[in-house]
Amino acid sequence: MKIEKIKEALDASILEGEDLLEASVDQVYASDLMSDVLAFGKPHSILLTGLATRQAVISAHMAEFNGVVLLRGKKPKDGAEKFARENSLVLLSTELDMYDACIRIDSIKRKRHSPAKTETVKPVREEILLSHEFSIEGNDFADAGMVSTEVKSLLKKIGLDPVLIRRVAISTYEGEMNVVMHARRGKVYLSVSPKIIEVVIDDEGKGIPDVELAMQKGFTTATEEMRAMGFGSGMGLPNIKKNSDELKVESEVGKGTRLEMRFFI
Amino acid sequence: MTTTELIKNIGLKALSEFDDRKITGVFVSDMLSDVMAGAKSGDLWVTVQTHKSIVPAANLVDVSAVIITSGKEVPQDTVELANKHNIAILKSDLPTFELVGKLYGLGLVTK
Repeated sequence: MKIEKIKEALDASILEGEDLLEASVDQVYASDLMSDVLAFGKPHSILLTGLATRQAVISAHMAEFNGVVLLRGKKPKDGAEKFARENSLVLLSTELDMYDACIRIDSIKRKRHSPAKTETVKPVREEILLSHEFSIEGNDFADAGMVSTEVKSLLKKIGLDPVLIRRVAISTYEGEMNVVMHARRGKVYLSVSPKIIEVVIDDEGKGIPDVELAMQKGFTTATEEMRAMGFGSGMGLPNIKKNSDELKVESEVGKGTRLEMRFFI
Repeated sequence: MTTTELIKNIGLKALSEFDDRKITGVFVSDMLSDVMAGAKSGDLWVTVQTHKSIVPAANLVDVSAVIITSGKEVPQDTVELANKHNIAILKSDLPTFELVGKLYGLGLVTK
């Protein structure tokens, strides 16, 4: 955001740095504690502070800020302006207090950004856009496929590429069916970040004695009953491998199997 | 050809509520993993499988419609799930071989 815009939003007067207003800042730091500014401030920020002293401007300078906004109409008396001028820092003064100043700046930020695409996208950590956990009941053929259907539905809401969604959906389905057919129960963990979709399927079950063999097309341990339903053609793991960008299979006989699949966006 | 045109041309019975789609190919199989591996988006899926799990499979692979052949009875829970996801479940009394012959006669081919 340009410092010019911040000046306008705050109805601020310019104490120093009239020719520096075109510069952009990445962050606004609101604080009256200079040691915090030094500890946590990032370069290319602007400081909002009620501390109208030379020390505030020096701290901002040490933290490599572009400028300082003095709040509540306070004017410095101890050479702050001179320091700002000598070190090419913008120095503004506003009548607003900290709270109002923050709100005013935030509202110009909001106007510039388009609204969120969907209400299901909530940032949990910085990079995770979507994070969900599902349960699968082993041998529950009645509900088999419901988790992958839900996954497809969630990815569709985020607006991802349909071809990508299909790959994730098919892989998740095959993994889900493997849990239904061969395990007691399992969990599916879906997480979407800006560049990667990750699906982890972790089950408690009989495990895979020979993973390499299981990866072969046509190899299956499905029962006659399952085959009568159309399952167990031995294409499950090969299908997952084909549709995912990265696949990791870990298994322990008598304990269970864990599939980690990654898809690049 | 769309789903509704197909129903008229061949004489199929629609069992579920569905979104009308353009049919762009045909996939014939009773094995779900083969469908997951080989069916393309927009394909017609021809099968004798009628259990509920065909609905998520059809949905995930994004078929245009499912035709159940050989006059098989389709359980109510399959139809209900299909309604929920707007997947066309169509029924024919013909055996698969004959039905496929008719589809071919209409000019539908596998992609």
